[in-house]
Amino acid sequence: MTGDPGAFATYYPTLLRYVGVAVGLGILMYGLYRLLRLAGVKHEPATGFTLVVPWIVGFLIFVTFPIGLSFYLSFTEYNILWDRPKPLADPLFNYKRALSIRIVELPEGERPIQVLGTMEGETPETVRYREIGRFHWRGKEYVIGATDGYFLKGVWLTLRYAVLSVPLGMVGALGVALLLNQNVKGVGFWRTLYYLPAVLPAAAVALLWYWLFAPSSGLVNWFLSPIYRLLDMQPLGWFTDKSLVLPSFIIMGLWGIFGANTVILLAGLKNIPKDLYEAAAIDGAGTFTKFRHITIPMLSPALFYNLVTNTIAALTIFTQQAFIPTDRQDGWFVNWFIYNEAFNFGRMGYASALGWMLALLVILLTLLIFRSSAAWVFYEGARQEAGGA
Amino acid sequence: MKKSRHVLILTLLVVALLPLGAIVPAVAQEPVTLRITNWAGVQEAAEFQQIVDEVNANNTEFQIVYEPKPDDYYTQLQTQLAGGTAPDLFWLDQDHMAWAYDGVLLDISEYLANDDRDVANPEDYFPGVWQTVALNDGVFGLPWIAQPVVLYYNRDIFDAMGVEYPTADWTWDDFKAAAEALTTEEHYGFTLNGWPPIHMFIWSFGGEVISEDLKTSPIDTPEAIAGAQFYADMIYNPACCPTQEVLAEEGFAEMFKAGRVAMFMGGAADDLDRVEGLNVGVSPVPKGVNGENVTFAWTAATVINAKTEHPDLAYEALVQLTEGIHHWKIVSPRVSQATVEHLVASEPRKEANAEPILAAVPYMRAFRIVPRFAEWSQIFWEDFQDPLFHGEDTAENLAADARILLEDVLGD
Repeated sequence: MTGDPGAFATYYPTLLRYVGVAVGLGILMYGLYRLLRLAGVKHEPATGFTLVVPWIVGFLIFVTFPIGLSFYLSFTEYNILWDRPKPLADPLFNYKRALSIRIVELPEGERPIQVLGTMEGETPETVRYREIGRFHWRGKEYVIGATDGYFLKGVWLTLRYAVLSVPLGMVGALGVALLLNQNVKGVGFWRTLYYLPAVLPAAAVALLWYWLFAPSSGLVNWFLSPIYRLLDMQPLGWFTDKSLVLPSFIIMGLWGIFGANTVILLAGLKNIPKDLYEAAAIDGAGTFTKFRHITIPMLSPALFYNLVTNTIAALTIFTQQAFIPTDRQDGWFVNWFIYNEAFNFGRMGYASALGWMLALLVILLTLLIFRSSAAWVFYEGARQEAGGA
Repeated sequence: MKKSRHVLILTLLVVALLPLGAIVPAVAQEPVTLRITNWAGVQEAAEFQQIVDEVNANNTEFQIVYEPKPDDYYTQLQTQLAGGTAPDLFWLDQDHMAWAYDGVLLDISEYLANDDRDVANPEDYFPGVWQTVALNDGVFGLPWIAQPVVLYYNRDIFDAMGVEYPTADWTWDDFKAAAEALTTEEHYGFTLNGWPPIHMFIWSFGGEVISEDLKTSPIDTPEAIAGAQFYADMIYNPACCPTQEVLAEEGFAEMFKAGRVAMFMGGAADDLDRVEGLNVGVSPVPKGVNGENVTFAWTAATVINAKTEHPDLAYEALVQLTEGIHHWKIVSPRVSQATVEHLVASEPRKEANAEPILAAVPYMRAFRIVPRFAEWSQIFWEDFQDPLFHGEDTAENLAADARILLEDVLGD
């Protein structure tokens, strides 16, 4: 604040720390360089290693350490406000809490919460099974209970979002890339225009869509108002109507068609040799045949890259939901759910376990995509090495 | 040559740092710096800065540095607390006073016992407000505001419909009858959307959501059910109130401001009685089964970081700041300041409605704060209120199930 006599006194320790870190890194770099030179490493590689030291130190402190710490915390009970985590009697409690399911018979007249009971074993707090579904079998009614149905609901919502939004987005991006690959007037302008969404902050984009989907004043419902009048129906409650939450997020996610996705596919299209199309044309191939047998295979490495990155992005969606509130009962994306457990309910240990489970899910699905690539991704270099084309 | 260049660089670095080293002892002789943060926006922060400046001007032992955080306040504050960089003092609303149970707030009960100033006297605070800081056998801050919910009413609509203005003697039945009588195609009698909290209605009907010993959530008692059912019967019911779709379309308080709702329950400091073009009156909310106009109070407190390096000075700063805030914010949570003169001096624009606001003050209640309060509130909303408002089950069934879940949280 202006004229505040204590302002410098407040900030000088921070300034000192900054300078201290810079000097420390400088000494470390200098020491490493001398060490490498003494060990006989030539000037150029020694300089290279020295210059990456700040990055490696930053990576170890800001990435490796938190990853390791979150893994440790996932086996503890920890609130961010506490000085230190508390050990759990059952170290796997956080993982069990997220995934435990129980099916019990529901006697007539009883309510599910009365028959489902609580999680067994030594738990730091009472964890109750809550109904997530019912079914009939051989004349009896059964109830399915989960210790954290909201998490399971979140996983289901996130998976559906990924499965629906990623292919839709890729098809859209391919379509835009094909259009931008045409030799039309002012193509540079169009390419710049279609890349612009990529430079906008995700938070701003989320708010923009929230306004577009506003029930009364939103542009989407304004465009649809003639249809509403024709069918005599109420305007759709995007993001507020339970059944429209997922479609709303998917439509919003299609924004990702533009930007990096399109640019990568466009670069891929530019790399396809013209002579392949010419040879196919001489053989009498039509537009679709050329697209199916030349464009798609030659573009498959770029499509593969987009598939992997888009799948990871879809499974870890966060910003959009942070700015567009929806009810937890309707499902929260897993990352948002984790954030709430950590910061609103003070369960950092549990949130860490959920984070690791999400990481595992992402790794598994990514590996699956990698395994599938042998069947559909065409690497020209690999074929040539194998004595093919 | 190269070696000498390296030595030169290192020497220059050390020389560059020397002035900073010289500053350290110089700063140590200055008054102690205390940091305070809150969620104030631009206007409110400028007003708060004036109070800070006044306190600073009267002190030589400490100086307060104000760091407003208008965005994402609680996430930032938690992160600072975890990282050991949180300010010495900060604001917490009643929902976050549960942090007292996590050991991050300084217990000031001993300081209060040895302080004879009015602002440090627990007896001078309304009990329904004081309970938000008197937690876990200690006292964890001083309340700086207590906004009771009052009933704002549009006189023009009442006059046009020939309905008598609300009074402190109205019962909830009188209120409901008026809300229905005031509902036409042009306007609704009343509006609810989860605000004001259903707690207020349950209290007014003689029930409780959390017992005094903080061990049970008796929301399935006949009194609590009656209060909750009254709320459920009105919310989204077009016979008296806007439906959810209409609220989504036209807004909540906006409907009152637009003359589309005849009665609105809002905080005493809200500006609903100063809307241009509206002729608005203020009344306490209807009286409950025990004859009192029990109302909800939104409260917040200034607290001290348990890890402050200067607890004595931080306490002194807390007391002086709180005294200043009590002459700025309405309604002051102190009994001795519940006067028309004090309220008008703090906010002259409230002069016309000062009396009905002060009539609401003795009956205001804040939440009872329990450990894991955020989780308790989430369950109370998701498993009781929300399904009740949407008619998913009866109040009795929902309350019976929700009570089990709520008491799981209280029992741990």
